[in-house]
Amino acid sequence: MAVCIAVIAKENYPLYIRSVPTQNELKFHYTVHTSLDVVEEKISAVGKAMADQRELYLGLLYPTEDYKVYGYVTNSKVKFVIVVDSSNTSLRDNEIRSMFRKLHNSFTDVMCNPFYNPGDTIQSKAFDGMVSAMMVQAS
Amino acid sequence: MAQCVQSVHEFIQDSFVPMVAVLCSEDAEKVTRKNNLNFSELLRPFCRLTSEGHMRDPNNQVQVVKNLRISVNNVVTRPSVPASGTPSLAQRLLLSEVVSTCQPAEGGVANVITAGDYDLNISATTPWFEAYRETFLQSMPAADHEFLNHYLACLLVVSSSEAVPVEKFLKLSQEQHRIQHSGEYTNPKWFIPNTLKYYVLLHDMSQGDEHRADSVYEDMKQRYGAQGCYLLKVNSRTAAAGADEQIPDPWSQYLHKSSLQSQDHYEESASVLANNTAVENNVGGTPELDGHHSEERDGSLVNSLDSTHPLQLDTSGDTPGSLDALRAVAVETKAGTAAAAAASHGACLTLNDHDRIRQFIQEFTFRGLLPHIEKNIRQLNDQLVSRKGLSRSLFSATKKWFGGGKVPEKSIAELKNTSGLLYPPEAPELQIRKMADLCFLVQHYELAYSCYHTAKKDFLSDQAMLYAAGALEMAAVSAFLQGGAPRPYPAHYMDTAIQTYRDVCKNMHLAERCALLSAEILKSQAKFSDAATLLIKMTSEDCDLRSALLLEQAAHCFINMRNPMVRKFAFHMILAGHRFSKAGQKRHALRCYCQAMQVYKGKGWSLAEDHINFTIGRQSFTLRQPENAVSAFRHILTNESQQASSQQAAFLREYLYVYKNVTGVCDVALPQLPLPYINSSATRVYFGHERRLAEGEKQAATHVSLDQEFDRDLAAMWRDLEEQVVASANRGVVPATFQATQCCLNSQTDNLRFPLAVVEEPIIVEVVFRNPLKVPLVLSDVSLLWKFTLKDFSRPQDAAVGDALAFSNEKETLVPGVGARLKLLPHQTGQLNILGLVYNLASTPSTGGTTVSSSAALKSDVRGRQDLEIQGPRLNQTKEEKTSVSHGPDRRLDPTITPPMPLLEVFFLQFPTALLCGEIRKAYVEFCNVSGVPLCGLRVVSTHPDFFTFGSSSLATPLTPLSPTSFENCSAYKTLATPPGATPGSVAAVTLVSAGDFGLGEGGSGTSNGVAEIPLEDRVLKPGQSTQLPLWLRGPDHEGVHEINFLFYYESAVKGGKISHRVLRHTVFICASRSLCVRATACRSNTLPEEEAEEEDERRNGSMLVFVDVENINTNEAGVREFHIAQVSSSSKQWRLHRCINPAEDKDCKLNSRERGKLCFRATRCKPVQATSAAIEKYIFADLSLGNEQIISSTTPCADFFFRRLSRSQGAGPGGGAEDLTSLVRKCNEVDLDIIVLWKAFVVEDNKQVILEGQLHVALQTIGKEACSLTQKEEAQEMVLLKFKPELPPPMTRPSMEQLSHLIKTNLHYPESYRHPFIHKSLCLVPVTLTLSNCSLAQVDVIIDLRHKTTSPESLEVHGSFTWLGQTQYKLQLRAQEVMRVPLRACFLHAGVYNLGTPRVFAKLADQGAMCETSQQTATPALIIIINDT
Repeated sequence: MAVCIAVIAKENYPLYIRSVPTQNELKFHYTVHTSLDVVEEKISAVGKAMADQRELYLGLLYPTEDYKVYGYVTNSKVKFVIVVDSSNTSLRDNEIRSMFRKLHNSFTDVMCNPFYNPGDTIQSKAFDGMVSAMMVQAS
Repeated sequence: MAQCVQSVHEFIQDSFVPMVAVLCSEDAEKVTRKNNLNFSELLRPFCRLTSEGHMRDPNNQVQVVKNLRISVNNVVTRPSVPASGTPSLAQRLLLSEVVSTCQPAEGGVANVITAGDYDLNISATTPWFEAYRETFLQSMPAADHEFLNHYLACLLVVSSSEAVPVEKFLKLSQEQHRIQHSGEYTNPKWFIPNTLKYYVLLHDMSQGDEHRADSVYEDMKQRYGAQGCYLLKVNSRTAAAGADEQIPDPWSQYLHKSSLQSQDHYEESASVLANNTAVENNVGGTPELDGHHSEERDGSLVNSLDSTHPLQLDTSGDTPGSLDALRAVAVETKAGTAAAAAASHGACLTLNDHDRIRQFIQEFTFRGLLPHIEKNIRQLNDQLVSRKGLSRSLFSATKKWFGGGKVPEKSIAELKNTSGLLYPPEAPELQIRKMADLCFLVQHYELAYSCYHTAKKDFLSDQAMLYAAGALEMAAVSAFLQGGAPRPYPAHYMDTAIQTYRDVCKNMHLAERCALLSAEILKSQAKFSDAATLLIKMTSEDCDLRSALLLEQAAHCFINMRNPMVRKFAFHMILAGHRFSKAGQKRHALRCYCQAMQVYKGKGWSLAEDHINFTIGRQSFTLRQPENAVSAFRHILTNESQQASSQQAAFLREYLYVYKNVTGVCDVALPQLPLPYINSSATRVYFGHERRLAEGEKQAATHVSLDQEFDRDLAAMWRDLEEQVVASANRGVVPATFQATQCCLNSQTDNLRFPLAVVEEPIIVEVVFRNPLKVPLVLSDVSLLWKFTLKDFSRPQDAAVGDALAFSNEKETLVPGVGARLKLLPHQTGQLNILGLVYNLASTPSTGGTTVSSSAALKSDVRGRQDLEIQGPRLNQTKEEKTSVSHGPDRRLDPTITPPMPLLEVFFLQFPTALLCGEIRKAYVEFCNVSGVPLCGLRVVSTHPDFFTFGSSSLATPLTPLSPTSFENCSAYKTLATPPGATPGSVAAVTLVSAGDFGLGEGGSGTSNGVAEIPLEDRVLKPGQSTQLPLWLRGPDHEGVHEINFLFYYESAVKGGKISHRVLRHTVFICASRSLCVRATACRSNTLPEEEAEEEDERRNGSMLVFVDVENINTNEAGVREFHIAQVSSSSKQWRLHRCINPAEDKDCKLNSRERGKLCFRATRCKPVQATSAAIEKYIFADLSLGNEQIISSTTPCADFFFRRLSRSQGAGPGGGAEDLTSLVRKCNEVDLDIIVLWKAFVVEDNKQVILEGQLHVALQTIGKEACSLTQKEEAQEMVLLKFKPELPPPMTRPSMEQLSHLIKTNLHYPESYRHPFIHKSLCLVPVTLTLSNCSLAQVDVIIDLRHKTTSPESLEVHGSFTWLGQTQYKLQLRAQEVMRVPLRACFLHAGVYNLGTPRVFAKLADQGAMCETSQQTATPALIIIINDT
């Protein structure tokens, strides 16, 4: 499961970042932030070819020594980033994909909340719970 | 990768240059010493050839050699540690020194890169990296597997002053031969066994004999050939002579960063430390440093040869402890070199000499070196060609097969190590590599490439990995350097080479070199991504400096990409910064973090931003840039931090520490502190003293205090009250300049004008802090910062500003969300501006006991300020203001100090909190002028004017006891004992009172709004004087809690101040509980006036019955035992209660809980004289005492409250005057009688019986309509329907029939029983008088109709019949209030009971012709008994 899940606004500031509490939070912030470069690169590469029916899932952004970083971009250019442990080999591409889909659905719910002001950080309990379910349970 | 000064080609060419060794005789050395240089140094600036050279390749093709550089070095024989792959300590020190000395220029040009929404300021060049690279490459130890940095030639230098130069040359030549071939020394590696020896005769022009030199040179030419020797003439001028001549100093740039020289220094200092073999080495070693001559000539040469090599330290065991000392020495020596450099180089050289040296190098290269290389290439080529045909594999196979060969198997096996095969230096396998290197050095890259390529294959098949990697590396480089039609750059060669170097050979050094080259090449091909990956791969744990530099270069690669990867750049910059700081390169670390900061700043990545800021702060602090440190730390603290509280505490501590150091340095102006936040708009300013609320029995007026919340409705209410009282003080007109007094200014009050403060009265400023952190902050010594401009409003300016104001401060520990209250006391008039706050800030230590914390807090607090800037309200009036965002001024903090004003304090004594409805209580109020200025014009206005009275001033009540202590026994009322004989309630005592006596002159100005002037003696309250006045209170008529607001108004007796008046507020809460409910009804009395013959007046004026129902509705059964009705009084202009006509046994009116009693009174109209005389304004008070004492209702408390109530209800009353029909008709039903019920309640309070008194008012207005002391209005008003339609004007209704039927009152007068002898006389005639009285004030036409008979059969049966005799219809006219009697006769036929009430009276108003007569209400059945008198 994921060790860090982040939602980044269109303007590339974090809407939501959650990481496994046992680990260094700062490191994940840096990792996620840096991954945005790759996300942008991928978007710009794909964007020209087929702007409309482009795949939201961006796949593996880059591997680091300890982690793999996956990306996903909604049509409104909100980015989801999931960081998983490299040692976790059981995770297939499909599972990551489904995680992103779940995340996207949950995010859509948040956006549908009439009291949510788009652009604010996400403080939804439901979203939190869903993210927690996807995270590695720190033991 | 950042831009470099050199191009890639230049860089690579310069990385691999032909090496030339120098062996120098001592005398020659002496000659060069004069210029502060040794020989190799002397040559160094001229080592780049400006002209093209030519040589022929083995195929006899002419090859052009351009821009060649040669490297001239002294021979250094220190044994080399076989390239271990890890750089030595000395080398590390050297590199770190090079990097740290090379800093970006202050304010250097930075180019702006725009990527997406980022604008970054990045220094385009990284000279420290280039310096590092250059130094690194130069300090590469010569390796066995490659020949590029092996010496190709050797310069033998002998001075012409030598006695026998030729002999010396011979000696040097032998020396060189010994070094190369004896096997003693492994280190200076030589390219080819027969090294080119080039003989240089150095001639000192200033000393030697030129002819001799020439002749020696001729001799040399003979001996070594013209190609192999040179006469170099230098030192054309004396040092002293040419001091004034400016000669360019080309050495400075070379020597300044001269690696060799500084290496020498390190070695020297290191050897001093190492102290093992140092004695020998040091005696004559490095004479240029020691500055003295060695006595042993031979030794000196040896020593200078083997004196220095960078890798010396590895042999001498170094301890970690010596490292610091070493660095210290290094710094010293560096200083020493700097000083040496200041003494300029080449002082004895003229420009001519420079040219000569340049020419010498050219000559040497073209005549000596290049032909030598050419020859060797040819030789090697021949060897290789001779071996052609044999396949490489066959060759090696045969080698293995026949065993013997040139290289013994055994040695190969021995030399095998982890990195594969090691060849002996002269192994044939290396020949091709040697040739490749030679070709490479002379820029014949095509040939070089093919050789490298072949060599690579050979080495690989031999599993000689190190060699293979070297060949791969060089193959790639030469492929890249090939001009013309180049083959694609084989990047994978490089990758393989790096990997082999690193993983197989464990030689980081070579791997690094390879990576540097490769990265530079990739960069030149715009393959930034690959270059970055390569560089990042090269970072490792073992060397921080290298990792840092490489990461930084990688970061530059990211930013230079076609789509710049800004975030990657930033991230790698941070990594680089981290490594720099680990490597001790603080400056570089700081620079890296600062560059990365540009990306993270303000993008919402607060955690990362905080981290960077924190690091920047720390680094800046260690670099003695405390200002930057403070600002960085401030950033962490001012942002809404999401850090954990422990982290915040650490930030805060660090910040305070740094801050303290900064302020310690410069304490000119107090710096701004970022913490805690000041919610400046919530700042409140209070003018005046703080109130003491209670003082013993006294209860001070509540006024305004800072503890109250601002309430808009309340403020509006107070403003209304003030407006009322100001209007009344100014004869009903509110002045145009009127402004409500504001004692406490906050964000919601009107702060447009400068507030006025009075001198010697404090100004209290409440500042609201907010602590954004999760850790507590300790504030101490908080005080206000202010500016004061002296302005005297009465006199010309004189006094100094200095001590115009005094401080008094409050100390406070900040809990989040709490404010501090600070007080200023102005002593002089002028303009005050409150600017900000000064305070000490400290953090509470997270650990440790209280004792520790107090001392620690003392240590770590810093003093700083924060400005208070209040933004005014957003303006939204005009269109411009609506479209733009502009704010109005807010002058809360800029009070004007005005001359002294009176200051009133009001105290209340015995002021109750709970009252029964209608209860009368006497309290006392004390007015106290606490200022130094007399006070006048004291007034009070209240929201409930009928709640209290000060009594009427004209009717002073001497009978009322003044002492408050006697209150409990005494009534608040003025009483008179009733005469003992009189029966209670018999006849009312009557008093006439004018309303004007109670301050309620009808039609007088402003009486109805509840403003009361306070009856002060002589109307002025002198300074320090106080007055006590009685105050009567009456419980409100409705139960519940009532908020009653008083506003006391006063003025200064001295007019013309800036402040026209002052006010004092007071709010009380009175809890009213139910007492009695009084309902009263008035009925027309039908009694005949005749019967009351004794009172003639009333016959004409009529009378009325008043029924008073009194109900005890008190719910507090335990407390209130019973109510007594003490007295019932009436007050009216026309009526008065006359007597009580209750049944006699009901005299004492006690009402227990929920009991109800009924009282019956007769009221009579007053004499017309009274009603019509001048005293029409007068009210008649009639007291009907039911107890044994009479309360004089016409005096102060009772009448006061009556009139106050009246004044309120009057507004709603019908505006009389219009003599129209309706009112006329209504008039006759109006009574306008007020009943005052005075009661006593027996209340048990604390086991004591207390008698409470009270009064209730009922206003009777219409006959027959019930009036109640409790108005039921409230419930109806609870929910008012909103009406949007305009209310229709009340229609001009005709008076209703019911009303019209009351115009005439009729009365029949007859004997009750009449005896008549029917036997004697069958007809019985009875005289009956019909009295008609006109109730109205108009003339009325009356028709009396007697004809009519009762038609109902019922009445026939009961009464039988009788007839009226005589005239059966009368037409009369009655004047206003006229009483007329009409004699009638009734005729009866039988005895019996008859109803005489059959006459029907019709009336109409005389002047209303059109109207038909209305039947008048008949009186009650008038029964007459006719008795048959027998």
